[in-house]
Amino acid sequence: MPDGKPDLQGTYDLATLTPVERPNGLPAVLTDEQAVKLEKQAVAAQERGSLPIDGNRSAPPKGGDGSLGPAGNVGGYNSFWIDRGSQYSVVDGQKRSSIVIDPPDGRVPSLTADARQRQASRAALARLQSDATESRDPGLEGAGAYDDPERRPLGERCLLGFGSTSGPPILPNYFYNNLHQIVQTSDTVMILTEMVHDARIIRLNAQHAPPTVRKWLGDSIGHWEGDTLVVETTNFTDKTRFRGATENLTVTERFTRTDAKTLKYRFTIDDPKTWEKPWTGEYTWPITQDHLYEYACHEGNYAMGNILRGARLRESEDTKTKSKQQ
Amino acid sequence: MHTKLSSLLAAIGLAAAATMPAIAHHAFGGEFDPNMPVLLKGKITTIEWVNPHAWIHLEIVKPEGKEACQYTPNAKCEEWMVEGGTPNTLLRRGITKESLAKGTEIVVDGYQTRDHSLTRANGRNVTFPDGRKLFLGSSGTGAPTDGADPTEAGRGRGRGRGGL
Repeated sequence: MPDGKPDLQGTYDLATLTPVERPNGLPAVLTDEQAVKLEKQAVAAQERGSLPIDGNRSAPPKGGDGSLGPAGNVGGYNSFWIDRGSQYSVVDGQKRSSIVIDPPDGRVPSLTADARQRQASRAALARLQSDATESRDPGLEGAGAYDDPERRPLGERCLLGFGSTSGPPILPNYFYNNLHQIVQTSDTVMILTEMVHDARIIRLNAQHAPPTVRKWLGDSIGHWEGDTLVVETTNFTDKTRFRGATENLTVTERFTRTDAKTLKYRFTIDDPKTWEKPWTGEYTWPITQDHLYEYACHEGNYAMGNILRGARLRESEDTKTKSKQQ
Repeated sequence: MHTKLSSLLAAIGLAAAATMPAIAHHAFGGEFDPNMPVLLKGKITTIEWVNPHAWIHLEIVKPEGKEACQYTPNAKCEEWMVEGGTPNTLLRRGITKESLAKGTEIVVDGYQTRDHSLTRANGRNVTFPDGRKLFLGSSGTGAPTDGADPTEAGRGRGRGRGGL
């Protein structure tokens, strides 16, 4: 860059097979043999989803097709819509089995008693965490979950992408639309997240906004430490709640250009009311020549209306059933 | 240890495979009714190429209908809307809503919305009449960018680069 700083600009595709937390039994660094095997399995699974099926098939079974979690017993939609990544993230030449690197077991530390209590007290009504996947919804949540749009998850409301795609910390969602674009000047860095059209503005060599100013993506300030851009984010709203964190969450991110095609991204999470100690993750962002597209999420969000109408009808049927029983 | 790791790797692979045909990002179970399975055969009328989910509209012939095809309750046809995924993923592969011509015949299996007054369903499987998945097999419409032929030059990720 003209100011002598490394150029972080570009469009990056964060899709990866490396999960946030390490699966039990896997080493921190996969051998080439292990990585190849798992990557081949992922490709094979994708290919199986692409195979033709019977054109003269009948309707799926009444009572549901038995699909779990994401597909809510009705089967979701075809895998050709999906782009979940096919390779493990390579950091310092190592194929990593988890994004979390500290604690060394690759697992996010346990929640504090305070955090567990907070989660339990709102579990029945709200699931508004920024990383909440809508995909665990069996369609029959607890009382109140469908009462109004504001009880629905942030992703379903088109406020933030699910899986902490916009962050911070910025994580892959293991599903689709994992593109991010960085634009950089001497005093500002912007990160545009494709899903859901979030632009985070990072002010360089600046002070945080006063504590009364709260933001969905937090207030980000940055500075250069050698060739690494260090960004600190605070001032979150109490609505974002990454993994159940409080609004006092601090996220410190480190962006380092390791070569012309790769950005190394490291983040540390600190919120003493939620985790006993800070924890850290890292993975690499490969640059892509693909286009990042507009994501006008409200435009086609018929799902919200369909979901709420469905809930109203269920309630009405329940009322009829009860009055018949009396 | 080696055997244990191998079986773990296999288990991870199986878990991935098991979830492949059954995917959704929002409350599909809250939106669609497991007790209302549908099989829809008809012609595409339009595609809403929008986020967060594309919707394919198709016209179903109703032989028992009496009135002209104007989507009235007694008509000879009915319009259904079928929910898919985000169009951005397909755009990156060079597929657009123009890739499927109006009138293309498709077969959809899924479940109707819980509100049965709506003719809407999830596109659990959307195929051509011969069973090939949409956007993967040729529609036979001669569309230039339907991603039909695996040997076709430029097929695959990033095919849409630079031209938009």
